[in-house]
Amino acid sequence: MSRLWAFWAIVRRQLIELKRYPFNTISGLATLYIIFLLIFLGAKFIGTAGTRFFGESLEGLVVGFMVWTFAIAAYSDLSWALIREAQLGTLEQLYMCPFGFRFVSLAWIAGSFLTSLLFVSVLLALMMATTGKVLHLNLGSLLPLLLLTLASVYGVGFATGGLALVFKRIQAFFQILQFVFVGLVALPANTWWAKALPLSLGTKLIARVMIDGIRLRDLPASELLVLLANGAFYFLLGFLALWGCERIARQRGLLGHY
Amino acid sequence: MPALLVEDLVKVYRGRRKEVVAVDGVSFRLEPGEVVGLLGANGAGKTTTIKVICGLILPTAGRVEVFGIASHRRQALRHVAAVLEGSRNVYWRLSVEENLAFFAGLQGIPPRKARKRIRELIALLGLEEKRRTTANLLSQGMKQKLALACALVKGTELLLLDEPTLGLDVETSHELRGLIRELAREGRHTVLLSSHDMGVVEDTCERVVILAQGKVVTDDRIDRLLGLFRTRAYRIVLSGHLPPGAAAVLRSRFPLLKLHTGDHETTLEVELAPGYDFYELLDHLREAGAAIEEISRAEPDLEEVFLKIVKGEK
Ligand SMILES: Nc1ncnc2c1ncn2[C@@H]1O[C@H](COP(=O)(O)OP(=O)(O)OP(=O)(O)O)[C@@H](O)[C@H]1O
Ligand SMILES: [Mg+2]
Repeated sequence: MSRLWAFWAIVRRQLIELKRYPFNTISGLATLYIIFLLIFLGAKFIGTAGTRFFGESLEGLVVGFMVWTFAIAAYSDLSWALIREAQLGTLEQLYMCPFGFRFVSLAWIAGSFLTSLLFVSVLLALMMATTGKVLHLNLGSLLPLLLLTLASVYGVGFATGGLALVFKRIQAFFQILQFVFVGLVALPANTWWAKALPLSLGTKLIARVMIDGIRLRDLPASELLVLLANGAFYFLLGFLALWGCERIARQRGLLGHY
Repeated sequence: MPALLVEDLVKVYRGRRKEVVAVDGVSFRLEPGEVVGLLGANGAGKTTTIKVICGLILPTAGRVEVFGIASHRRQALRHVAAVLEGSRNVYWRLSVEENLAFFAGLQGIPPRKARKRIRELIALLGLEEKRRTTANLLSQGMKQKLALACALVKGTELLLLDEPTLGLDVETSHELRGLIRELAREGRHTVLLSSHDMGVVEDTCERVVILAQGKVVTDDRIDRLLGLFRTRAYRIVLSGHLPPGAAAVLRSRFPLLKLHTGDHETTLEVELAPGYDFYELLDHLREAGAAIEEISRAEPDLEEVFLKIVKGEK
């Protein structure tokens, strides 16, 4: 029960900051929308070649962009938060939660998922209005798929969060990862190795739900199983990396440093 | 069971090239309800010790237990809260109330219980008017008070305060001292406080543990320490001035003698090393024809005692 209060305290803090600094949220949204517009207009001029990059169609572009936005938030939210808290000098207090730091990290990404959901909903609405393509929004099918797809990215986020604890200045690394994610989202999940990487398979399945209107239970069970295994694998791997980095940081006395 | 047990604690920071032995076999313990000062020069290992106790740093060797729980285990954090040195401790973007609610929640305290505690703490610290002010707009003293309140709101028995009065004006520092004394009087808190301000330590602590280069050099009650140094330091006021010859004789006989010549009186401060006889000093004064107005033992304060101990004079 007391874990619940700790969880709520962490999520609530995220909501307060979101509300108190609306400019950050709005400018973030505007930036992403402008990027989308550029890709969209570019695709229109270049023709089919441009859209094919993100899938088979304009709808594919919208879905791909949505998953990408989600992924960016999923892997960077925790790491940014850790870097910012280390800079501000509050990380050590956050670390002193009696339920452990990994609990705090989990609660943090749960909160981050919720705020991303709000954020991406608005972005999705804008994208659909711009392209005139209305997509299927079956939340019952979409949310589980999103969670499974993002699980792998959260794993990457845990790992980069851990690296941030030890190495502090890893912003450049983040920027590279953003582009890696573009590639992963765009990668067609046809081969086994593409399915073994994060994001690719999940994006494909999400596209089937959103574009073709297929429900979760009508998707091939084998693909869902692979997605589940993929998500679990990266999630646990990342969690382990965070745990290892946390130990190193505690050994070297780095939690209070920036 | 002691509230805090530190036994043979060693912390070695391993850098790329060299190793730093920050804490080198430190042992001490705090019984429940005690308020103890942790003193030492810069780099003596105070902060490292405190961070090991709150689980932020893993020890290289030794045993550190909080109410019987090893400090590197997260369960120990149910019993410890800390105000850490130099860091902000609180969220500048959150208001006073929001900060308190956040840290209460983080500790797992149900909101209803937290609300009551928050109200009490805000009243206790006199922050009523700033309840809804974000922390970045508070004065330094108020920020420090808020940091203390955020530690207190967790309701833990053991409280670690690393330099809690750094950068505060005299008045706020006194206010905070009063608060710490108050906490101690209730007996519900055990406090380990590190400070370079001896006034703060003398005002709040019964006992001090003094570190030098990562080792404990003294662990004793403050009144006993003061007593130890008091017995040999004398202050003698003479009316009028000493003849120059007599002063020279005294100086050569008592090298530690300090002589202040005022308009109408002369003050001698002397610390009699073992073997020097107090009567001998008086004999010299009588021969010089000096009239003694007052003899007192110069009261050493904690600062002098501390400096002497750290320099290894005792
Ligand atoms: N993370 C770290 N990595 C390497 N060395 C460190 C680290 N933290 C502290 N040290 C070193 O350990 C020694 C003890 O430092 P510590 O901060 O514990 O001293 P302190 O008694 O708190 O000093 P001060 O009074 O200045 O706060 C110092 O020599 C310091 O340089
Ligand atoms: Mg220190």
